[in-house]
Amino acid sequence: MTTAPVHRPQLAADNITLAKGAGRGVGMALIVVGLLAALAVLGMGLSGAAGVTKKHALAVYHTGAMGVLAMALGGLFFTMVFHLTNAGWSATIRRQCENLASFLPFAWLLVLPALVIEIANHGLLFAWLNPAYYHDHALQVKSAFFYLPNHIVDHDTHKVATEPVLPVFFLARALVYGVVWTLLSRRLCALSRAQDASPSVELAAKARFTSSWGMLLFALTTAFASFDWLMSVDFKFFSTMWPVWYFSGAAFSAMALLVLVFARLKAVGKLEGVVTSEHFHDKGKILFSFTVFWAYISFSQYFLIWYGNIPEETAYYYFRTFEGSPWRTLGITLMIGHFIAPFLIVLFRPVKKSPLALGLVALWCLGMHFADIYFVLRPMVDAGTGLPPHIMGHLWVDLAAIVGLFAVLVGFLIVKIPGLSLVAHNDPWIDESLEHRNYV
Amino acid sequence: MTSTPHPDELTAQRLAGLARGPVGGKDPDPVTGDGTLIDTPGVRAPLVLNDRSFGEITNIICGYTENPVPRWWYAAAAVTAGLAAMMTVFILYLIITGIGTWGLTNQVDWAWDITNFVFWIGIGHAGTLISAILCLLKQKWRTAVNRSAEAMTIFAVICAATFPGIHIGRQWMAWFLPPLPNANAIWPNFRSPLLWDVFAISTYGTVSLLFWYMGMIPDVATLRDRADRRLRLNPQSGGPLLPFLPIPVDLIRAKVYGFLSLGWRFSGRHWHRYEAAYLILAGISTPLVLSVHSIVSMDFATSILPGWHTTIFPPYFVAGAIFGGFAMVLLLLIPARELYPHMKDFITLRHLENMAKILTLTGLMVGFAYSMEFFIAYYGGNEFELYAFKNRATGPYWWAYWTMIGCNVLSPQVFWNKAMRTSPFVIFIVSILVTIGMWFERFVIIVTSLHRAFLPGEWHMFSPTAVDICIFVGSLGVFTHLFLLFMRFLPMFAMAELKAVLPIASPHHGPGHGSGGHQHGGGH
Repeated sequence: MTTAPVHRPQLAADNITLAKGAGRGVGMALIVVGLLAALAVLGMGLSGAAGVTKKHALAVYHTGAMGVLAMALGGLFFTMVFHLTNAGWSATIRRQCENLASFLPFAWLLVLPALVIEIANHGLLFAWLNPAYYHDHALQVKSAFFYLPNHIVDHDTHKVATEPVLPVFFLARALVYGVVWTLLSRRLCALSRAQDASPSVELAAKARFTSSWGMLLFALTTAFASFDWLMSVDFKFFSTMWPVWYFSGAAFSAMALLVLVFARLKAVGKLEGVVTSEHFHDKGKILFSFTVFWAYISFSQYFLIWYGNIPEETAYYYFRTFEGSPWRTLGITLMIGHFIAPFLIVLFRPVKKSPLALGLVALWCLGMHFADIYFVLRPMVDAGTGLPPHIMGHLWVDLAAIVGLFAVLVGFLIVKIPGLSLVAHNDPWIDESLEHRNYV
Repeated sequence: MTSTPHPDELTAQRLAGLARGPVGGKDPDPVTGDGTLIDTPGVRAPLVLNDRSFGEITNIICGYTENPVPRWWYAAAAVTAGLAAMMTVFILYLIITGIGTWGLTNQVDWAWDITNFVFWIGIGHAGTLISAILCLLKQKWRTAVNRSAEAMTIFAVICAATFPGIHIGRQWMAWFLPPLPNANAIWPNFRSPLLWDVFAISTYGTVSLLFWYMGMIPDVATLRDRADRRLRLNPQSGGPLLPFLPIPVDLIRAKVYGFLSLGWRFSGRHWHRYEAAYLILAGISTPLVLSVHSIVSMDFATSILPGWHTTIFPPYFVAGAIFGGFAMVLLLLIPARELYPHMKDFITLRHLENMAKILTLTGLMVGFAYSMEFFIAYYGGNEFELYAFKNRATGPYWWAYWTMIGCNVLSPQVFWNKAMRTSPFVIFIVSILVTIGMWFERFVIIVTSLHRAFLPGEWHMFSPTAVDICIFVGSLGVFTHLFLLFMRFLPMFAMAELKAVLPIASPHHGPGHGSGGHQHGGGH
């Protein structure tokens, strides 16, 4: 597949390739089992089996889907950043970012069932889909954003619709996100794959150019997807920081997952001298910086809303954090688990340089990433019921949906990774990456 | 071709003083400009042009402070000193008369003063970004611009700190700003972001000053040693300080630089501690880049005023600060590299292009924030919030809003074209526009929200008085004058760091190591 030049013996084929079809069975099994688990949760919710409610099933499924979507978006983000900045050190890790980004179309497909069920059931978590809320002024002022060209209030008669209205604009945007993400991820992966066959700097230059306008599209689609699919779950809530928060989690979780991928590849004896402790050091630094960035963004959003103390904003946080709310504990757990603990641990250089230590932290971080999205969606199960928020049991349902969807992503990566060389071995920056040292 | 000596041989001769270095001034290549605009993936552009040796770098950079003062410098210093004096006079007038001499009204009680404050504190952020974040990201091109950008940070903080200081009205109470125990048991309001500003900015100023000064110690020691050597050869070296004051200039240099260099002897241990301290300070400064302007943004965002209370303010202000700061760095360095000999060898077209790209990126970030604000003003469904934004775009201050959009969001888009982002002239023009746009951004945020209070009876337009205008223009003079003094008396480049990014500094340099396009080693 590849011939290693004399001066870079690390790129010998057996060091940077896995056997074709290696782990395929495990990967496919993970995909099937994961998908079945997640769909079973949805099915139980829809049929009401075992006392699982529709809203509950949908909230946990949506948590898993938005969580893996964030990781795939983070993979696309890092791919583009490395191209855009002419980064040298990252040449040996970019291929796995691309593999992660190539999950984007599937992540999009995983979100779709949640949206379809929402619309078919006229709003379970997304109360704005429910005709009972059409009279709400807070919904009417923003209804164009969801429903155009349809209207929930008739323009001439001012009569509020009593039948569910199809949210055309909302669906059209969902379609746009899917198209943009698919095109971007496929194009960048295709350019990289073509480079494996024929070393050409023009392909790298093309990828760099794609990343420039791609980054613009990425920012806009990620922002509005986060509004559409997460923030609008509480249609009265609004925050300009929201897309930045979702992005911070995307970059954070993607880097955590990449650390795990490389820790595993190192554990099976691959990438010797190609992805070294120096690369792990840098990945650790990125993980660290996005832990801090997430905390900065989450804190700023919370703090400004708390300080401003305007009812229409504080309701979102009050519901989750008032004394006695079961979600308060989760909020504090996020503070410690998503920020303080990883901050204090990854701060130390030996942790960053060790695949095992960093891998363990990364695993924890992935859990925290799902918990972060869970904190947004899961409390909404009780919203609008008039009941105080409570944890209704059936924690296994939550785990089945979230872990199931994560297993789909992991299975996809296991199947995908051996299909290509583990590194973009013809990347023009490969030499710089192979010689990468943080401190000399 | 056969008679051409090997480049390493030539370098060796130049290092030994047997051959002269190139003078520079090659014809620009249509594709690679001065040779640094190469865009082929996998090839790193040279960071220093004309194969400068270590000795040449020292001579050129020390020459900026040791050679006779250029004539343009006197002219520029005179003009800026005049502006600074004007500012002093108007501040005195303001203190004597009261802040009613500004155009403030009962509703618009924050206007140019706070606009200027936020404008200046933002300018400083580029320096910290270059010295701290680009250091942690190992961006080697920063070595050519970090020293002057850090100096700019200090001077911008000085200008910024002036404005809240004179805004308090009763200057004799200024010591109430820090929480000092006093007989009346009066404490500042710890819940106020304005007090957090006091802490944020004093911390920022202190750390920036330390970072700048510490980085300068080895270079100041070089200036000291050179003055000292000249004195040993000629006790009257440098001539008399003034015609009636027969102290040799180099004696003063040796003493002052000697004092400032804190006993630096270039020993390995010194360098080791220096590198460790540099990394720690870079680590400390990085959160400062984010925290200072985040807290400045909270001056507005913690209030519930329409147009001010929005959660994206902290990162949006930080991006805007870096944006405005880079424009100012470019405004200072583009003329400097034209005026000083050989400076184009260090600040290449590539440096300018990189900074132009950062302008585009941060300009798009603030554009993103502007659109998110507008979108959420609509989506949030608060009619006052939506009014505040509609009023910005179409109300009496529409011209300020569209100046902001045109300068900050649209003008950097020319840099999508390579010819534009590599033309110093175009970059200079865009930097001027961005500086104007970023000043207007703060003006738009502050004044358009205040001039439409909740009661229509309180609606006022703001018009600046001569005092407003002269103090702001004067602050530009203070800033530029301090920068001119810096260029004259302190090393404008981090010499040791510049040398470390040269190909000859690489342990792999030379025959047998395949000194390809990439460079490594050096840095920190």
